[in-house]
Amino acid sequence: MRLQITFFVLLFSLIPLSVQAEPWEFSMPIEVTSTNGEKIFHHLESSGRQNIAISADTVAVVWEDNRDEIPRIYLARKGRNSQSFSNEIRISGSGEAYEPSIVALSNNRFALAWEEDARINLRIATPSGLGPIITLGEGEAMQPSLASDSQQLLLVYSQRDDGYARIWIQRIEIDGQILKTIDKCAVDAEPANDDQLYPAIATLADRVVVAWEDRRPGHTIIMGAQNDDLKSCRFKPPQRISEELSSAGMPYGKGHGVSRVALAQYGTEQLLAAWADKRDFREGYDIYSANYQAAGEQLFAPNLRVQDSFGGVAQQWHATVTGDHSGRLVVGWDDKRNGNSNIMLSWLEDSGWSDDFTVPGADGEGEHNHPTISLDSEGNLHLAWIERSTAAGSTRIRYLFGRLVEL
Amino acid sequence: MRAILLLVTLLVALPATAEPPSGYPFQSFDKAMQQARAENKPLFVYFGRYGCGYCEKTNKEAFSDKQIREAYSRNYVLAYVDSESGKRLRLPSGERVTEREVGTRYNAFVTPVFTFMTAEGKSLLRLVGVQRIEDLREADNKVQQFMKKATRP
Repeated sequence: MRLQITFFVLLFSLIPLSVQAEPWEFSMPIEVTSTNGEKIFHHLESSGRQNIAISADTVAVVWEDNRDEIPRIYLARKGRNSQSFSNEIRISGSGEAYEPSIVALSNNRFALAWEEDARINLRIATPSGLGPIITLGEGEAMQPSLASDSQQLLLVYSQRDDGYARIWIQRIEIDGQILKTIDKCAVDAEPANDDQLYPAIATLADRVVVAWEDRRPGHTIIMGAQNDDLKSCRFKPPQRISEELSSAGMPYGKGHGVSRVALAQYGTEQLLAAWADKRDFREGYDIYSANYQAAGEQLFAPNLRVQDSFGGVAQQWHATVTGDHSGRLVVGWDDKRNGNSNIMLSWLEDSGWSDDFTVPGADGEGEHNHPTISLDSEGNLHLAWIERSTAAGSTRIRYLFGRLVEL
Repeated sequence: MRAILLLVTLLVALPATAEPPSGYPFQSFDKAMQQARAENKPLFVYFGRYGCGYCEKTNKEAFSDKQIREAYSRNYVLAYVDSESGKRLRLPSGERVTEREVGTRYNAFVTPVFTFMTAEGKSLLRLVGVQRIEDLREADNKVQQFMKKATRP
């Protein structure tokens, strides 16, 4: 393994420098929260990895940490041109809280969802304050993920009833700072006979797409389903997104592993799913993707590997994806090809996925992982991630801004 | 004959869930770490995955051995980690992690991975992929010799 990595590093050093340049100029990283220290551990681990969002002039990051020994959810915001985050506030209640998700609304407002005491909690954050919390879910509800359209807020989550976890969608009306539930459906109408976990959600102009981890085939696969009536929460029958490989390559077991799908819209009617995929089971997870297909019988196109070949002998984890209305599309992940864990990006070019790019400031000594990314309306890239000096050491949340440059 | 066919059908239909082998006192990683510290014993951590075929093969062909079961149950505190699971654990450091993140930290990028660790979580020996009875026996001997040397005054 080490020999293979050395070979690729040597090979890479012999290749003339690529003419490719990254579309962003990155600033120096800054702290998202100053509450750091021994035995404080921060987590950016929402379902679908939406822990950062931009609304109008405001950048917001949501996370969980244990600063007062109980895991709780916190929100920090800054102006787009500001050099520091401020107004850090706790948004969860008195219980143990996990896995927050955020979505931007209009006018510097955000909707936030998190798991607290095995229920899903939601509230609105505006420049003038926080709205009241509403609590949803029955049984053991977990792993919330949010999306919105002009009319409503959409929440997906996994809920364990009678032994198996199943994906649910809840439509919610926003009235100022008040949230009102509309209706709720199981995304897959078929009764669960094994776990459905970690849902991600994205909206297009006239439809909603949900993807999740599904253990019903006896191993984990990525499934997806769409709803083309925004006034209903009922979905069409789900389809498999991660491909089934031939059994010749997998002599034992039900199939290869996949993990933690993320979804993002880009362009006017396009959408990408990205996830960690262990189809090359000797070298660990790679980042794979599939494009949503509005027409045709198949919901998603054939799978494509996002990372370049230099990453093929190293491990990639924690996919995150963002897009914008002009068609920009970026996938991020953490990557161990240089020995430690660094944040890498690949973006969509005319010819396909770009060469992998190590983000300056989110690399180097220590461990840099759990990225969450978002493009703003001008194509600038916003990145937050977890940094630690050792694999088990205390953590910090870092942020950096990538200003779009004309190429 | 019909009973045999029914048995074969049932065996084929059993899901490959890659759970830890039966008859062993496997427990969650955080509980195993606590017990290992309390008893000053090394850990044997089995990193598997839901549907992991090579885990099933090792379970059937190596962990089914009675002597292996006795030796591993006696010499180690046993932990099982589903490397794709979001199950939450709390480590002795106070850090809350998921089983998946434990797998990431210990580089369980393939499954199965079997890691012998000190009670503090330091890796001593790592076995990757399908293991035979003799592989597990040899690894046990190596780790036991190391532990004897390490505790010698």
